[in-house]
Amino acid sequence: MNENNENKVVIEFKNVTKRYKLYKSDKQRLFAVFSKSVKYKEKLAVNDVSFQIRRGESVAFLGKNGAGKSTILKMMTEVAFPTSGEIMIDGRVSALLELSSGFDMEMTGRDNIYLKGQLYGLKNSEIAELEDTIVDFAELDEYIDQPVRTYSSGMRARLGFAVSINIRPEILIVDEALSVGDKEFRKKCRQKVNEIIEKDNVTLVFVTHSIGMAKEFCKRGIVMKKGKLVYDSDIDDAIKYYDPPKPKK
Amino acid sequence: METIRTIVSEHVEWRSQIFKLAKADIIKTYSGAALGWAWALVKPTIMIFVFWFAFTYGLRHGGDIDGYPFVLWMIPGFIAWSSYMSDMLTQGAGCIRKYKFLVTKMKFPVSTIPSFISISKFSIHLCLMVLVVMIFIVTGHYPDVYWLQLPFYMLCMIAFFTAWGLFSSLLSAMSVDFLNLIKSVTQALFWLSGIMWDVNKINSPTVQFIMHFNPITYIATGYRNCFIYKVWFWEQGERFAMFLIVYIVMVILALWAYKKLIKEIPDVL
Repeated sequence: MNENNENKVVIEFKNVTKRYKLYKSDKQRLFAVFSKSVKYKEKLAVNDVSFQIRRGESVAFLGKNGAGKSTILKMMTEVAFPTSGEIMIDGRVSALLELSSGFDMEMTGRDNIYLKGQLYGLKNSEIAELEDTIVDFAELDEYIDQPVRTYSSGMRARLGFAVSINIRPEILIVDEALSVGDKEFRKKCRQKVNEIIEKDNVTLVFVTHSIGMAKEFCKRGIVMKKGKLVYDSDIDDAIKYYDPPKPKK
Repeated sequence: METIRTIVSEHVEWRSQIFKLAKADIIKTYSGAALGWAWALVKPTIMIFVFWFAFTYGLRHGGDIDGYPFVLWMIPGFIAWSSYMSDMLTQGAGCIRKYKFLVTKMKFPVSTIPSFISISKFSIHLCLMVLVVMIFIVTGHYPDVYWLQLPFYMLCMIAFFTAWGLFSSLLSAMSVDFLNLIKSVTQALFWLSGIMWDVNKINSPTVQFIMHFNPITYIATGYRNCFIYKVWFWEQGERFAMFLIVYIVMVILALWAYKKLIKEIPDVL
């Protein structure tokens, strides 16, 4: 296989395992810092998962609640660390995880746009170029200069989506996020996601319960079950595996 | 060693974001209030007035210290405490919790959070110190060479409390109990550390010796060395050595906490 720039590997998981430690209480957790004898339960969230995603691919992660999808996305955005195994990420990751948070509540929407842009490593001049697009996209109008704490959850989600999608990501990670706002806004979101996938050759990783959405955006499907990767193929087969058509009687 | 290298390289790589976040933190502290920036001034002024009143007419019945009226004697140490040290004790400890979204929502080096908080608090402290200098000049105490060592004590203060911030914020992120403990101890530290009274006047040599292991005491007394006592820091080498020992212990604790907890923090917040 020729490894040219077009299809180089941008995300790679090698035997990744993630265990969460669950303590009875905050106090127990504090003691555990100093002593090894404190008891805790272990929850195996992701169990020995390996896969590669190449540039320009669009991959859906399917699985029931607790299958470990969200944990995988968190590790992709490098906000959580694996207990063992290796993760390689190549490119600017923009994550649409829990859109309504991830803002500084005391600052205005506009300041938050700048803060986020700066944290993603953009220059102020670049952000200024994107600012109007973001404000327009979020449909916040005069609210953009109010503190984010005064926003409704829908407004926060819209702003979150507008920022994440417009800061020119190279890898876009979406976690059930396309269901924000009203019908029209959702449509706009989908168009925008499709647009950047096609135009900028963005890699998309998508997590959902909704098979329809997965089909709409993705060409490849990965099915997770109880922390294990159980199926990895093109989207139609993955959907058949995940949700087999009911046999007619 | 590995940990130190990680922390330093994170600071270098994210340096422009660190300053931007510090600026945002200052603005945030005072925006949303009608008086805005004036609050930075009003609070310490009221406190100084209250303490001056209580100590001049109430508790002590006047009396100068080393030829300075009590209120003037008090100001340098008190400002160091109220505008930087006490804030770093509590807010430094709470900073990872406060800036949770930087930890759980995006890729951001956690070790730099206490640093930008420290920069933010220190900027406000600097503004107030300009005011302190003006007060001394207006009351006829002109600058002399001893004032030049002020940056030395400021450096000690930043170094210590930034390390403290890293250590305590990591532990507070793991458990609110720790944060609550810090908050309740802070007020006690204020009265114990010689902010309001002269540590040099303690009669028992043992107590005085122990007192100088307290970095808060070292810094507050250091500020007064510049303005009041007219002593160089190298004339008190023993005290500096004691501060240094405590500082090194603090750094080791911070590195230990960082190494141990950094990968768990995003899971528990």
